[in-house]
Amino acid sequence: MKSSQQRLVLLIVSALLGACAVPSPYQKPGPQPEQPSETPPAETRPGESPSTVEQPQPLPAPVVREPALGAASRALVGQAQTQVATKNYAVAASSIERAMRIEPDNPLLWIELGKVRLAEGNYQQAENMGRKAVSMSVNAPRAQSSAWRLIADSLRARGKNIEAQEAQARSDSLNPG
Amino acid sequence: MALTRNSKRTILAGFGLVAGGLVIALLVWIVYLDRIITAQFEGRRWTLPAQVFAEPLELYAGQSFGGDTLEQELKRLGYRRVDKAEEPGSYSRRGARVDLINRRFQFWDALQEPQLLSIVTRGNSIESMRNGRNEDVPIFRLDPLLIGSIFPIHGEDRVVVTPNEVSPLLPAALKVVEDRKFDSHNGVDFGAIARAAWVNLRAGAIEQGGSTLTQQLVKSYFLDNRRTLGRKLEEAMMAWLLEVHFDKPDLMNAYINEIYLGQDGNRAVHGFGLASQFYFGKPLAELQLHEVALLVAIVRGPSYYDPRRHEQRARARRDLVLKLMAQYKVVDERAAQEAAKRPLGIVNNATQAGSYYPAFLDLVRRTLRRDYREEDLTEAGLKIFSTLNPLIQSQAEKSLTLELERLDKVRKQKVDRKLEGVVVVTAPQNGEVIAMVGGRQASFDGFNRALDAKRSIGSLVKPVIYLAAVETGRYNAASIVEDGPVEVKLANGKVWTPQNISEEYYGQVPLVRALAQSLNLATVRLGMEVGLPKVTNEFVALGLERQPPQLPSVLLGSLDVSPLEVAQLYNAFANGGFSTPLRAVRAVVDAEGKPLKSFALEVTPVADPQAVYQVNRMLVQVMEHGSGQAARAQIPPEIVVAGKTGTSSDYRDSWFAGFSGNTLAVVWIGYDDNSPTGLTGSSGSLPVWSRLMRSIGTTSWNAPLPEGLEEKSIEFTTGLAANPGCGGENLVTIAVPAGTQLPAKSGCETSVFGELGERAREWWHRVIR
Repeated sequence: MKSSQQRLVLLIVSALLGACAVPSPYQKPGPQPEQPSETPPAETRPGESPSTVEQPQPLPAPVVREPALGAASRALVGQAQTQVATKNYAVAASSIERAMRIEPDNPLLWIELGKVRLAEGNYQQAENMGRKAVSMSVNAPRAQSSAWRLIADSLRARGKNIEAQEAQARSDSLNPG
Repeated sequence: MALTRNSKRTILAGFGLVAGGLVIALLVWIVYLDRIITAQFEGRRWTLPAQVFAEPLELYAGQSFGGDTLEQELKRLGYRRVDKAEEPGSYSRRGARVDLINRRFQFWDALQEPQLLSIVTRGNSIESMRNGRNEDVPIFRLDPLLIGSIFPIHGEDRVVVTPNEVSPLLPAALKVVEDRKFDSHNGVDFGAIARAAWVNLRAGAIEQGGSTLTQQLVKSYFLDNRRTLGRKLEEAMMAWLLEVHFDKPDLMNAYINEIYLGQDGNRAVHGFGLASQFYFGKPLAELQLHEVALLVAIVRGPSYYDPRRHEQRARARRDLVLKLMAQYKVVDERAAQEAAKRPLGIVNNATQAGSYYPAFLDLVRRTLRRDYREEDLTEAGLKIFSTLNPLIQSQAEKSLTLELERLDKVRKQKVDRKLEGVVVVTAPQNGEVIAMVGGRQASFDGFNRALDAKRSIGSLVKPVIYLAAVETGRYNAASIVEDGPVEVKLANGKVWTPQNISEEYYGQVPLVRALAQSLNLATVRLGMEVGLPKVTNEFVALGLERQPPQLPSVLLGSLDVSPLEVAQLYNAFANGGFSTPLRAVRAVVDAEGKPLKSFALEVTPVADPQAVYQVNRMLVQVMEHGSGQAARAQIPPEIVVAGKTGTSSDYRDSWFAGFSGNTLAVVWIGYDDNSPTGLTGSSGSLPVWSRLMRSIGTTSWNAPLPEGLEEKSIEFTTGLAANPGCGGENLVTIAVPAGTQLPAKSGCETSVFGELGERAREWWHRVIR
């Protein structure tokens, strides 16, 4: 009896853990190798019978997927950083926008563009870029932390100190290192 | 005697008076002509229309370009294939390896000097890229395609060249063929006129013209082909006046930029710069001897010697030009003979050379009109860097044309009634308009459907209503709404009773189904529950400029919006709740290459990203289970797309707006006179959209599930939580706020906890056993 009580506690704990788990990005449900073999391949096609159905995804593990820049973007961001150093903001932004056309979903590029805006004093856009980056860095605490730091900096630059502190706190909590 | 002397004097005085009068009249005439011709020349000489460039092609390792695609793109840019690339604008190819030398180009942010680039492709992508010193090149931008000029005179377009962009062969060839005394005459060459008259008399037809280049220039300025004596005199006088005022090199340059060289539909091709693009698809500076000779041959009669229609004639005259060039020592004999062996080298119309993008250029022009005066655009030599992607543009044109032809055929319409259509394509993340088709004909006369056709958008409004609903926090994709008879009392006392397209009632339906199947009654009920103010505000938040009237009929899309505005609205969905003003221009630089203005990327959060994500997942179900299903005939099943159909009342407008991972496209089909088409969004615009998405190999919509949301499996029909294990039918996955408790299908109660719940239940069974 005692053991089943322990197990019950375990169940509750694991259920709670499950609720906290960070979900994975949406992907078209399709035949996935990690799915148990007895589940039918989840695929939807127009007009097919309801026997082909989508599955609730297996309980997502909190997989951290930090974004990284590709070689082309790295070169362009490096270029942009040099251009910012010489106060060549429009050109720097243009370099990062080139990278964005290659990797539009990479939050790091939005953070970089936000930094250019911050440097040239366009604080509102810097904050907006940060918010866009936050919305894109699901499962990526380090990227999210940078995005919140950008938001904090741009709020601080506008004298919004309380909000800036909150944003900074979020940044710190995501990246305690 | 006195009388005779008197009368003599009178006659003499009369003569004197008349002669004086004539001289004065002549002088007035000359001054008048002088005014006209100088103004014309000066006006044109300094007129440098703004040049508009397409998006440049970026090359980098990993870019999805196989060898063939790369070569195709280089050809589109007019790069010529050679055995060994040594000159800018040329490339060589050996299997998977392409060596190229780019052209020098002043971008808005950097000057790109020519360099050798060795590109190795593998399968469908670029594997590596190295320069002449064998160093890795991470990214490289090719000179962009010139897509047009902004010129004040309607229907005219030209690529103005400066003397240093012109090969010395061209003026030399023009002189030996058209005007051998150009360097010495005063505007008129009487010897040439006499010779021409003699030749023509003997031939009994006009074989030779005696006009100098200067006279031809004058003729071209006034586009008057009357061959009256008065006209000829006027022309000769003006030519003489031009020679008095201006240097020979100035006149030659004006001639090269002015002369008429062909016709492209409604567009007159003036100047050798544009003609070079039009016939050979590359800049004038890169033309080789046989190509220069052909252009010089065409001068005499652009329609008679049209190399596309009268190849033999054009070829014979080209070879004559080459012979003359050799005879007068412009080139040596052997070079001329070699050149005469070459084919004409004309690009056919199917390639992008000489393509015309009137709808897109109109958008560029309107964008810039906010910041520049018309004269700045047409005269100041600005260079405009636009966002147009020529590859996607041509696919958009093709998709629309093919589907409209099919629809016209299937529906057996009368010949004089043709469906029209619009396609607008954007890159959702940065709001760039990458393609725009304004109608089935590339020609265009001021009315740009993509911008000016404000048409009723029907069910395209629905996602906005559902977003407003989800944002209240009171609804999710599984919330039940009643699809039954609706009566709305209007301000004027009348009662509005909308209907579903099928004229049926569907009863209790979840939101996801109501949206996917575009149920009108459920939507009106939902919209009224959420409230018209909240719904109409949502339109403005997402980027619609005018707030829609707070009328219930707005809930069914009785709202006149242009295709471009629809794209702006849907862009906010595709961009996860962030609005980005759509842009067609990236930057503008002046004639010297100095940056004047850049249109920087801006984003603004306009809607709750969680709510937008939930609606987007419903829009995915439109494509899987709803009115967008037919797209799957074209789009591979593994590519996730989201979108919505729209049909206005009486089937006047067929709409589809939707997006993938990297592309958003809006399609409209209808008649210009707003008469019914009999088409729904699914039967008209959706096939265009699907064909386009397939042809450009679009990527999956794969936005990450925002934190705070979770996925649930429900029955599409009932909205009850279920999974296959407990007999759930027609299941769809939706996103809802984490912790949302959904009513479960009977027998599926425990499974609302998902797989963990299932496992826990089994485990619990084992425990209590």
